[in-house]
Amino acid sequence: MEIVGIFCVIYLWTTWIFAPPEKELEELIRIFFQHVAPALVSYAAFGVTLVCSVIYLWKGNLKYDVISAASIKIGLAFTTITLLSGMMWANATWGTPWNWDPRETTTLILWIAYACLLVYRSSVDDREMQAQFGSIFGVIAFPAVILSYFSIQIWDTLHPQVITGSGLQMGMEHGITLMFSMIAIGLLYILLLDLTYLVDSAEEKLMKYRMTRS
Amino acid sequence: MASGFHAALKIAKKDILSQVRKKFEIFSMLLFALIAGLAFSFALPSALVEDLGGEAAIGAALIWVIVFFTGMFGFAPIFLAESESGTLRGLSVAPIPAWSVYIGKVIYGFVLMSLVEIFIIPVIQVLFGFTMFGEEPLLVVATLIIGTLDLAAVGSMASALTMPSESKATIFPLVYFPTATSGLILLIEITRVMATGTVVVIAAGLTVSLLFVALLAHLVAMITLSAGVFSYALSP
Repeated sequence: MEIVGIFCVIYLWTTWIFAPPEKELEELIRIFFQHVAPALVSYAAFGVTLVCSVIYLWKGNLKYDVISAASIKIGLAFTTITLLSGMMWANATWGTPWNWDPRETTTLILWIAYACLLVYRSSVDDREMQAQFGSIFGVIAFPAVILSYFSIQIWDTLHPQVITGSGLQMGMEHGITLMFSMIAIGLLYILLLDLTYLVDSAEEKLMKYRMTRS
Repeated sequence: MASGFHAALKIAKKDILSQVRKKFEIFSMLLFALIAGLAFSFALPSALVEDLGGEAAIGAALIWVIVFFTGMFGFAPIFLAESESGTLRGLSVAPIPAWSVYIGKVIYGFVLMSLVEIFIIPVIQVLFGFTMFGEEPLLVVATLIIGTLDLAAVGSMASALTMPSESKATIFPLVYFPTATSGLILLIEITRVMATGTVVVIAAGLTVSLLFVALLAHLVAMITLSAGVFSYALSP
């Protein structure tokens, strides 16, 4: 937890003080780091959901289902941050908060898909069924992530391709800042996942205890 | 493998037969498609569409949106009917692989939706005054077939996922819409480009073939993922 704290402080310092203003975007470049890092981490979070869902279906250990559900929640929170910071940035640079740009649209679809997955999970009463069918949904919802990730390559879009095959298309300082923001947000994700997992599995035990008592 | 596909065809045939005997369900789907078309005509009066200069562009998108919503009626009962009448247990203990049950249902959903499309596409074309079969009719038909298969693949899985839920009617769209929209957005894009006739290149690097590959990849991903995990949906 201390390490996460240190990295978060470095992250704040690099994004707000260390990174120099950009030529065209000037100070707006600072939103970039709050936008890209959560986006990539949320894709990874949904990837964790996919992997844990497959492992649950394979092994049948309820632990993996708890992790996959926790990862959905955190991934959703990060996607929300991505959408909101993206809207702020778009409002400042493109003039409107929402342009129906392919990446915006596909990311919104992604958000809706995983929000629906959470609602769906809570609509199933039986715990085993919830884990089993929630895991199946967790697997088939993943193409939305892939579509969102590749949308800038499929469509002609306003989103620039920053990360290309030939490396990062940005200055040195901004590259370092992006790296630190990725590490900080990634660690934050792991910490949140760990805490959510602890709470959820404690709740799970409590439920089991109540069931045996009654 | 071959016996699995044989079983899938048998299941599809059984479902189509029972659907043909019922009759009212397919008619209600056709009527719903018409009503949806009407509702869109209020939202998009023909004068407005002409001003925008794209009957073909809007109509092509309309057809997919109507098919998408009609799919709610067509796909929702695919597994719900089986689980309500108790025949699902029979399917799960039958000596056939689980994926063949899923593939059978996809074929059935595809046939059902194709029937609706054969009826609704000419009607919408006449009502909105455009043709979507423009310059490349074969490509449009190929897109229709792949798109309908894609929707059927997603719809059957969504129907299977709805089974254990408490509130089935509200949960089905929640499962079906988000998983189907990623295919729908590609479908509308492709059909629109074809209908307006700018077939080869839309913008630098963006070609119909790339969209088509993305759509095919989506279809293959959906079918293999769903067929792969389907045995878990049948086992409880």
